[in-house]
Amino acid sequence: MEMTQTTDLTDDRLLRRMMAGDEGAFAHLYRRRHPAIYRFALHMSGNAAMAEDVTQEVFMTLIREPGRFDPARGTLGGFLYGIARNHLRKRWEQDRRLVQFAGDGEELDDLLSNAAASSNGNGHRPAPAVRDEFASLETVSQVRQAISTLPENYREVVVLCELEELSYEEAASALGCPVGTVRSRLHRARAILLEKLRDAHPMRRISAVGE
Amino acid sequence: MDCSQFEEFLHDLDRQGTDGFEHREIALAHAETCSRCAQLLTQAEWLDLVLRSLSTREIGQQVSPRVEAALMDEFRRRRAATSRRRVRWQIAALGTAAALLLALGFALRHRTGPASGPVQHPQDASALSGEGKPGNAANPFSPAAAPDSSGQEEAVAENQLDDSEDATAFVALPYADDSAARDGGAIIRVVLSRPALASLRMPVTDLGATDRIPADIVVSEDGAPQAIRLVSQSSLDQ
Repeated sequence: MEMTQTTDLTDDRLLRRMMAGDEGAFAHLYRRRHPAIYRFALHMSGNAAMAEDVTQEVFMTLIREPGRFDPARGTLGGFLYGIARNHLRKRWEQDRRLVQFAGDGEELDDLLSNAAASSNGNGHRPAPAVRDEFASLETVSQVRQAISTLPENYREVVVLCELEELSYEEAASALGCPVGTVRSRLHRARAILLEKLRDAHPMRRISAVGE
Repeated sequence: MDCSQFEEFLHDLDRQGTDGFEHREIALAHAETCSRCAQLLTQAEWLDLVLRSLSTREIGQQVSPRVEAALMDEFRRRRAATSRRRVRWQIAALGTAAALLLALGFALRHRTGPASGPVQHPQDASALSGEGKPGNAANPFSPAAAPDSSGQEEAVAENQLDDSEDATAFVALPYADDSAARDGGAIIRVVLSRPALASLRMPVTDLGATDRIPADIVVSEDGAPQAIRLVSQSSLDQ
């Protein structure tokens, strides 16, 4: 059992090893979980530097207070999203200018475009599905912009349930609210997104994509 | 299925584990017969498409390596601090245990003192005689010889004799060393025959009698008898 590779271990076991002082277990846990936390923070803040700081703070909290995680109350991923959310809110309180994602999305667009280019070019990641080719960079950018202008409650469920593909239960655990609330927020958020995008995309074009 | 039900399930049609996913086939069948719901379905599918595309494009997002380096430094620092704290706790626990053992040892030592039984210090022997008063020349352990004896010790020592007992003064044995006896001797109650008492130069009458006489012997730390006194007990007299 001691010879088990850390890559095979569940989050809970990695956390227990980490709490026992296993540096490798922590490194693996970080590498496994940090990309999703970073993307969540990036979408919620629209600021790469802040997203990086929040990601660091999330894992600092895990190092300092690992006992705060209770497996009975949800997954470690949900726990980390919850910490990220709290740190984002603290940041927003400290700097009211960043409460709303007021940027034009250029920084985020550049980051994501570079990431997409690198992920397609190095051969290690799967190429986007054929249907994704229909979603042009311009369209994706408009959707991203639309998401960034959603109210916070709606934005976070879109990021978690649509972009990070969490289940309603996982999102509810991360957000600390009932599953029904997550579902209704997501439905409302999608309706708002469609409304926003209808202005940018004439309906005939949207329909054409779907046909 | 009607249009309102369709709208309720619309955004969950591809989400496993939801009611929308369970009613997917019925909802799609409804959309084929309702142009409005068909348009809503088209829009929802388009939104799914672009959201998935956005998600795919973001997979390559990476945090700068300096974040991981900072976290690993913090992890090592915390681990070292925890280790130091554990050692400090162990030392504190050991210290506490040692202090408790010492306290227990002192308590036990006090219990085995004058009040615990027949073992007595020679100073107490003079008090036990009931004749340890100044000016009693017959007692080799008189207050003159044991100036540290206090009235309190005397009172305690006298309690060692039963009310029914009486005793003579301690008489030094022929080969006794007084100073040795004063250095922490103990009193032992023995029962001796009259000839045995006579051999210790005790004034005994009627050597032919077979009764045995109780006596207290002061034994020095090296085990040598130093002094003796005779004890008379009413119960024995009877």
